[in-house]
Amino acid sequence: MTSPFGDAEPPGVLDARDVTRSFGDKTVLTGVDLRVGAGRISALLGPNGAGKTTFLRILTGLLLPDSGEVTVAGIDVTADPMAARRHIGVVPSGDRTFYMRISGLENLAFFGRLYGLSRRQALARASDGLADVGLSDAGGQRVGLYSHGMQKRLSMARALLMHPEVLVVDEATDGLDPEGARRVQDLVRGIADRGTAVVWTTQRLDEIRGFADAVTVLDQGRTTFTGTVEELMLQSQSRSYFVRLLAAGAAPDDRQIQAANDALGASGTLSRAGADLEHFRLELTEAAVLGDALSALAGTGMTVVDCAQQRSELEQSFLRLTTART
Amino acid sequence: MTGTHPNPLAELAKLSAFLRRDVLTRLSYRTAILADWFSLFSQALVFYYVSKVINPARIPSSGGERTTYIAYVTVGIAVSGFLAVGLARLVGAIRQEQFMGTLESLMVTPTTASVILLGSVVYDLIYVPFRTVIFLVIVSFAFNVSFVTSGYIPALVILAAFIPFVWGIGSIASACVLTYRRGSGVLGFGTFFLTFTSGAYFPLALFPSWVEELARLNPIAVTITGMREQLIGGAGWDDALVVLAKLVPMSGITLILGLIAFRAAMRRERRLGTLGLY
Repeated sequence: MTSPFGDAEPPGVLDARDVTRSFGDKTVLTGVDLRVGAGRISALLGPNGAGKTTFLRILTGLLLPDSGEVTVAGIDVTADPMAARRHIGVVPSGDRTFYMRISGLENLAFFGRLYGLSRRQALARASDGLADVGLSDAGGQRVGLYSHGMQKRLSMARALLMHPEVLVVDEATDGLDPEGARRVQDLVRGIADRGTAVVWTTQRLDEIRGFADAVTVLDQGRTTFTGTVEELMLQSQSRSYFVRLLAAGAAPDDRQIQAANDALGASGTLSRAGADLEHFRLELTEAAVLGDALSALAGTGMTVVDCAQQRSELEQSFLRLTTART
Repeated sequence: MTGTHPNPLAELAKLSAFLRRDVLTRLSYRTAILADWFSLFSQALVFYYVSKVINPARIPSSGGERTTYIAYVTVGIAVSGFLAVGLARLVGAIRQEQFMGTLESLMVTPTTASVILLGSVVYDLIYVPFRTVIFLVIVSFAFNVSFVTSGYIPALVILAAFIPFVWGIGSIASACVLTYRRGSGVLGFGTFFLTFTSGAYFPLALFPSWVEELARLNPIAVTITGMREQLIGGAGWDDALVVLAKLVPMSGITLILGLIAFRAAMRRERRLGTLGLY
């Protein structure tokens, strides 16, 4: 497996090696590796049922692996989960991981006490944490009155109470509006910049570009890709576009479509996109240049009215990596 | 599993955080607190009127003293209420954490499973005995039930010795709920059987002789009888020590079994990865 950081890879604060886990006859994880260095954000991608949540539960000591090893800050999570948990902050997926009838401040102070802080220390850390995530004004409100986005930020504050070396974030932007998601991402980027190793699971591919330093793709419990976001995009073998075409002001007929396909040659194919006679799907090979293809279409006498990418290269790469064996 | 052994004092210090959490939570449900007390006194009121049609001569003496049915049954209500509320809260605490989604949030902190279990019920372990004592005092004034003042302290000590039994049974029930996601039905039946045959509401002499024999081994019966002897008969410390000599080992063994069962259930959940599921 290639290292996303090459020779300059920093030592892993989080190291998972050859992690395997089954439930009964069903193997959920097979030989999964993950290494995240200080200050790095490692995105963990995978479709539903890929094994992401199981893997995270093993990383946080909630679940034992059948084989393999996980260390956090050099501590074996399986052998000494209590010690390892002092170095891990967890942002779980979903809401309702707090006590809804008490305030955000009291919730954070409570969890701070469970990390061994005195009441005074816990309150101080809780106040700082609320300020860090922009919830100072809402600290005295019951958590039940918080919006989904506010609960996510509170969850982030809880995970960071002890300034952990490793932050595990499970689908933190799920259900958030773009502004809320961006806010959470900015928080995590800032945390990583201060030296925390971050594992970030998501199904929103668009959010890892320019955010994650490395990507691991899981599918059916196996690692199908490890590398950078740019390397993941290179996995895309074809690109798909929606184009709107007119021939002399009218929808092209079958003869004109055949002529367009002849003009495209080996660089791609043009086919109808549903019942609308003016819209087509243009599939290009990895080597093809979009401009050349559009020129070829124009050369057959058609007018390219509109052109939009059907799926991002990232999404195509992801789909290719996660559906190849299904 | 090996690993770092947490500092026991540091772990126990976390209990105050659980206590504060639950005090704040319960205070936010004021109506539920009022409903609980209303229910308790409604029960006592019913038995007060029932006692008026029961011949006191049919009520067994306690500590050598004859008594009325309301005095007899008030101690039974207090202890059985203590057991029922204590068990419900013990079993419900972990289940509620599962339902609320907070159990995994607790489990990813460096806190032992035993402290999480104890912490989840520490409020009730304080509140339920307090509720019992207040109930006894108020009923004694409201229904003119004369309890022996000097019997309160020995009775409280007997009640305190009963707590580990409740905690142990609750831990076993919690382990069942964690493992099978059900168990409250079996728990309810078991509690009813043990309470019904403990002499809480009716003299044991009314039951078949084997129930009387069984009651000697029933910690609920031992507790109720011991508290009646103190509160009604003023039996004193010598008799209290005899009761404690029977009750403490029963409670201790039950508690140990309960903690073993709970830890085993937690280990199983970690192995299977089903802790957060309900």
